[in-house]
Amino acid sequence: MKISGREHVVGFMFIAPLLILFAVFLVYGFYFIVHASFYDQTLSFRDATFVGWDNYATALSDNRFLRSIVNNLAYSAAAILISLSVGFLLSVVLNMGIRGSKLLGSLFFIPSFMPLALIAMVFSIMLEFRFGTLNQLLHGIGLDFLAQRWLSDPTLAYMSVISISVFLIGLPMMYYNADMTTINTGILEAAVIDGAGLGRMLWNVMFPLLKNAHKTIILSTLLGSFREFERVFLLTQGGPAGTTENSSVYIYSFARSAGANIGYVCAASVIVLLIALGISVIQLIAYRPRTGKGGGHEFRSRKPQAEENH
Amino acid sequence: MNFALANRKQKRIISVFLYAFALVWLFPFYTAIRNSLKVNGFRNYVDLFTSDLNGISLMGTFRNSALIAIGSTFLLLSIGALAAFAFSKLRFFAKEAIYVSVLLCLAVPGVVILIPFYYILKNLDLYNTLWAVIFSEAVLTLPFAVLMLRNYYDNLPPELMESASIDGASKLQAFIHIYLPLSIPALINLGVLSIMWSFQDFLLPLMFLTDKSMLTATVAVNTLKGLFGFSPADLGKFNAALVVLGMPGVVIFTFARKFITSGITSGAVKD
Repeated sequence: MKISGREHVVGFMFIAPLLILFAVFLVYGFYFIVHASFYDQTLSFRDATFVGWDNYATALSDNRFLRSIVNNLAYSAAAILISLSVGFLLSVVLNMGIRGSKLLGSLFFIPSFMPLALIAMVFSIMLEFRFGTLNQLLHGIGLDFLAQRWLSDPTLAYMSVISISVFLIGLPMMYYNADMTTINTGILEAAVIDGAGLGRMLWNVMFPLLKNAHKTIILSTLLGSFREFERVFLLTQGGPAGTTENSSVYIYSFARSAGANIGYVCAASVIVLLIALGISVIQLIAYRPRTGKGGGHEFRSRKPQAEENH
Repeated sequence: MNFALANRKQKRIISVFLYAFALVWLFPFYTAIRNSLKVNGFRNYVDLFTSDLNGISLMGTFRNSALIAIGSTFLLLSIGALAAFAFSKLRFFAKEAIYVSVLLCLAVPGVVILIPFYYILKNLDLYNTLWAVIFSEAVLTLPFAVLMLRNYYDNLPPELMESASIDGASKLQAFIHIYLPLSIPALINLGVLSIMWSFQDFLLPLMFLTDKSMLTATVAVNTLKGLFGFSPADLGKFNAALVVLGMPGVVIFTFARKFITSGITSGAVKD
């Protein structure tokens, strides 16, 4: 059926507020960073000189920038690993009817409801070398040799940043809990009758059954890593010597340094934006809504064979 | 899930591990609370509210956070619901293409867009006003809102639309009198989520609110650190402030956990 002119107008009236806001902030914003990325200029936006692709060449040959992107991926890999192991096990175990499960569950969830900035700050106080609670505790119980420079040794600083992912396990647990309510308990009963022990139940039955939750967690963690800022910024400030920087902290520190070349910051921003959009496209394909009658209300996986491709 | 996965002996072993893990888990909480009572004990908390902290009022930061959360949530719900309804129930030019473009913006990292936002907000005379953060948060959260609300509207029967038009109702009337009331559960979930996200936001208020009187509670975490010295007494006060700043999270958890959980997971993992 052909759509009448009036229908077009009515439709656009409904989305007009959204379009105006996006045009002012995002469309213009994207134009702005792409345009600025070809110039050498400061934040006063005066005296810009056209430099072509120079800013991109500088960014792509800057090891610190490349490392910050690798760090994004490394932090997400660690977070995914933690979610799929610790998060998965906790979610299953807390549903077994162990005494105190409710209280423990609340305990594991609460940090996810707090600002990440606050958590990062508490961790930085806890892990501080001289006055930090962790080292003081280790000294107190005579384990002096275990007291380390948690935030200034490169390897340990990585571990410290990653340790916050364990503390934020509540979010993946939400996905697992939601997915678990859709499991048909008949399958589990059948597996038990067939003689599956606890280990096999966990890894061969439960784990594959929760594949939708795994998928959501993997994609949202990856995408989130390009948004994340305060964890590294407040815990290690990107240090020691920029080793723990992620892309957000890298861009932010350049943008805030005095007299910085804003064109360069914008070129780095464009590169990060393109990578994030790439991940977003993968996500859209992975969750393509089912078309047709009644479809599209949920993001469903497509046919199983299509899913095996990635 | 009401099902016996493990026998009693296994359960006992698991619960030992579980409680040991919980003990390690409590350590950051212990750190903050223990430090907050240093030197002056509970006085640290009283001082936070009775005296101002080098020109920063802690209650003022909470007020700013609340105003921003209310403003951006209101924008998000009104703009999001209108657009999601149109994407779901109306027909117009390039509908799906626009919808997919909006969804793609889910990926935009805040830090990437900071400089243009700074420039735009300056030119709109919004820089260093609460509106700067209200608008930028709304823009960055709208793709999620549109996605979530469209899923919800898609789930409501299209027949309602037809009967409304037979009764002579315009599209706007059908939206306001039929679909909007029906979508209240989704709007509540989204609203609570948006309030929580706004309260957690750090980067945007850090960038766009430089005036001391405009600080939000979450940015105060960082600002107060610079204001307090390293003396044990200052450290006590600073940690007391951190504990207080964590309280809204506990409140949201206690009263709104259900809405957050169903908001975050709606449409994402159901099969």
